[in-house]
Amino acid sequence: MSALGKVVRSGVGRRRVQSLVMALTTFAAVTSSVLSLGLLTVVQAPFEHAFSARNGAHLAVQFDGSKVTAARAAATAHASGVTEAGGPYPIAAALDTTVGTDCPKKAWAGHDNGPITVTTRPDLGSTSGMDQLALTRGRWPTGPGEIALPWQHYAIDCFGSSVVFSSLPGKPSFKVVGFADSVTNSATAFATADGFARLTAAGAKSDKQMLYRFAKAGTNADIATDKRAVAAAAPPGTVEAGQSYLTAEWQVTGNAKAYVPFLVAFGIFGLILSVLIISIVVSGAVSAGIRRIGILKSLGFTPSQVVRAYTAQAMIPATLGVVLGTVFGNLLAVPILDEATKQLGAASATIPLWVSAVVALGTLLVVGVTASIPALRAGRMPAVQALLAGRVPKAGRGRTAQRLASRLPLPRAMSLGLAQPFAKPGRAVLVGAAVLLGAVTLTFAVGLEVGFSKYLQATTSGFNHAPAYVIPTADVGKPWGLYGPNDPRHQYLDAPKVAAALAKTPGTKAAFGWGDSGATMVGAPTGGETPKVFTVSGDFSWTNLELLSGRWYSAPGEAVVGDKLATTVGIHVGDDVTVMQRNKRTSLKVVGIEFDTNLGDYTVMTDADTFSAAGLTPRIDQFNVELASNVKGSDWSTSAAAALTPLNASVQPSSGGNNLVVITMGALVATLTLMLIAVAALGVLNTVVQETRERVHDLGIFKALGMTPKQTIAMVLTSVTFTGLIAGLIGVPIGVAVEKATLTPMGNAIGRHLPPSVTHTYTAGLLLPLLAGGIVIALLGALLPAIWAARSRTATALRTE
Amino acid sequence: MTNAPLIDLVDTTKKYDDGPPALAGVTLSVVPGDCVAILGHSGSGKSTLLNLIAGLDRPSSGTVTVNGTRVDRLGEAGSAKYRRESIGMVFQFFNLLDDLTVLDNVMVPAQLAGMGKGEAKRRAVELLGSLGIERHAKAYPQRLSGGQRQRVAVARALMNKPALLLADEPTGALDSSSAADVRQLLLDLNSEGQTILLVTHDVQLAASTARRTIELVDGAVERDVVNSDRGAGLAAYSSLTRPAGAVE
Repeated sequence: MSALGKVVRSGVGRRRVQSLVMALTTFAAVTSSVLSLGLLTVVQAPFEHAFSARNGAHLAVQFDGSKVTAARAAATAHASGVTEAGGPYPIAAALDTTVGTDCPKKAWAGHDNGPITVTTRPDLGSTSGMDQLALTRGRWPTGPGEIALPWQHYAIDCFGSSVVFSSLPGKPSFKVVGFADSVTNSATAFATADGFARLTAAGAKSDKQMLYRFAKAGTNADIATDKRAVAAAAPPGTVEAGQSYLTAEWQVTGNAKAYVPFLVAFGIFGLILSVLIISIVVSGAVSAGIRRIGILKSLGFTPSQVVRAYTAQAMIPATLGVVLGTVFGNLLAVPILDEATKQLGAASATIPLWVSAVVALGTLLVVGVTASIPALRAGRMPAVQALLAGRVPKAGRGRTAQRLASRLPLPRAMSLGLAQPFAKPGRAVLVGAAVLLGAVTLTFAVGLEVGFSKYLQATTSGFNHAPAYVIPTADVGKPWGLYGPNDPRHQYLDAPKVAAALAKTPGTKAAFGWGDSGATMVGAPTGGETPKVFTVSGDFSWTNLELLSGRWYSAPGEAVVGDKLATTVGIHVGDDVTVMQRNKRTSLKVVGIEFDTNLGDYTVMTDADTFSAAGLTPRIDQFNVELASNVKGSDWSTSAAAALTPLNASVQPSSGGNNLVVITMGALVATLTLMLIAVAALGVLNTVVQETRERVHDLGIFKALGMTPKQTIAMVLTSVTFTGLIAGLIGVPIGVAVEKATLTPMGNAIGRHLPPSVTHTYTAGLLLPLLAGGIVIALLGALLPAIWAARSRTATALRTE
Repeated sequence: MTNAPLIDLVDTTKKYDDGPPALAGVTLSVVPGDCVAILGHSGSGKSTLLNLIAGLDRPSSGTVTVNGTRVDRLGEAGSAKYRRESIGMVFQFFNLLDDLTVLDNVMVPAQLAGMGKGEAKRRAVELLGSLGIERHAKAYPQRLSGGQRQRVAVARALMNKPALLLADEPTGALDSSSAADVRQLLLDLNSEGQTILLVTHDVQLAASTARRTIELVDGAVERDVVNSDRGAGLAAYSSLTRPAGAVE
């Protein structure tokens, strides 16, 4: 091994703690950066590739077939901003289906398959024109009894079996011969022209769909403008729905994109912390090794060799952190990306090599530059000056602080410690910066976790929150949602009778019934989760269901829609929406937008009486019951059971569910936070160790004068307390600001407008401990050096000059 | 002066690693009010002996008892309490804290011992006055001459009224005038009843200040001489006379 190599190896070996800190901080920075940059680049790629390759439509508009002719619909191709158009194609929206009983998987046979939107085109497999459909399995339909669907809209295990249009008279059945999809989600089933004719013959309403590309379609606002232009070019009131490619894109990439904002924040924190820690460690190594540098130079080391020796001492552990962080970031991305790519039926994506390379090399460059600055100082230092360094008595600094501190009513050991940072303000700034970043990270992460927790609470509150539930006796012990709302095996409650029985049961404070009516909303997004229309019976004001805007419905014909549906479709309070159940339609006036993450992505809520009045069937399969405060749950259940059993209804205890994406995010945030806080504390530790080493002689004096180990520890800990307090006071507002700037985009990425109940994370009860967080980080970092200082041998320390 | 020893070392040995013992079975005792000089060449074991008596180090074997306390049995906290209550230390390079004023330096041992600030200040001012440096109370140590700094160090050492004053080469870093000044100070203190243990290679200091002189050679007591007339014993240690400025 060369002389330079030996110097580097011994340097790394002597500074094991510092080397570990550098490896950890670069590991955290690189993991976050690889993951965030990787997700940003990769998540988008499968959709963009598919959209481009298949000449996807920016907007698919459905015109009311009873009000507009094909020629009139086609004329909208000349609307303002349209650069390309396709159609009109026949389309039948939101037809209820079930899996055919010919499915070999008995669990699926006859199962509710949800509503699907069927279209037909002259050449389903065409590889020219707009919105080219893609076949991912099987073949295109060739006869009137065949159909192709996206895999998400049919039971995969039943491929080759039939799908039954259960709400149409005669229940026409089609054999599923292919899995296929439109990148814009313009429809969710594809049939031949004669196959489509079977549906219309059975009573399905045939509308007309036009596909468009526009000159300007980058944002939701652009698409809304484009849609208005199309509507203006068509007869008034003929546009029934419009599906934007941005909605389709969001449905594919939303969950993965939600990770990006906080990962970017953690990546930036990690990188700043890396720079800081490496500055601290290498500067410390240079300061502590100035005499050593002098000796090396007197032995013939050139300035360049000295620079390389000290830079390499940082590069070795940093490289280890970079390699591990790159691998870990790539591994973490796998499950997140899997979900995004599976939506498009694409092969599972991985983070491109260039992302890993750019992050890794970029970090190493930053580390190298950071380390070389103090190393250059060492390299340029004349040998004689270096040899003399450390022997020259230091000029007294921080005297005013010492004088002022001595006047404080504190034990002397503490007042001595309190003034210490002022003797070396530069070092105090480094400690403060490490604590500041730790405090920012802690505040940001705690805010995020509280936000996640509140979001989860929202998913388990609302209609999912009640002391007791009443469900059909036949459903007791069966998984929730086993049979879809239109599945003949789905059991419902006799709502008026159950409500009356509950009202008579002693201890019932309030109760309401609700259920998925099996209806759908005309114009709801065709991809993603199936839209649901809930019918509700009774007063649910005692639940935690939150209203974002407008009011709750109070009159017949009124409804409230979920925020995700409102955002995706562009529904506002005052708009009308059309719901359809078993081919019957009714129009509802939207009077409010609600926030509830439990009921589903796309939801409409209305009173059961509204449905009945419109000739639709309200369906109630659950009652939520609020009990009086003086009632014991088990007593109430016993007396309720007596009244409910004859009605085929049973009491079910409270239960809740969680959201996997949010839980994964929470775990990731917690891991990265612990890592960065540990690094921040280790940064403090490193600085205090350096400080303690330099002050070892003073410590020896104090101990010779009778300072006890406890007093020594108190002095060292007090020396970082003030810095920790200041860093905490500055760091907490920054952390709050970063959280505010992150949580809302995360909600937007998953299509949610997070209400204040979720975004208001920082209460006084939370902020006060967070403000003390800076002190805690500083004390944690200084504790070990304080103990070491207390244990240092006084005789040795006194000999140190 | 009573006959009960203030310092009592019995067969005390100190070994570092595998080398020869720094102290080899030293047995000695010092009575209260005495002023003893420990003389010896570099490596003779003087500093080791001082460290053991000060509770800064522990013997490998044997016992060290000071003022009735088995110093060799004390833990870290016990040693600290012992140092603050029973001994005061004066060092060759003063070991004053540069960022504290003279007054604050002198007050530190009392404040660490829990004395109230007012009382500590009163006592410190009194000590500085008795040592003739009260006018420098608000100055920082770097502004003072070597002799003045050592006086501050002595004041600090006496702050808690220790039974024993340990002085490690107290004139080693001083010019001849300042050294004479400190010698006189030590003589005065001893005359007032302060027990002093001096560790020095300075034969003149030992002869002029100590009532008793112990010479260590290779960790063992080579000579133990009572100076019936301070200054008369100088000739007996002529072998230790070295060129001026040599330090251990």
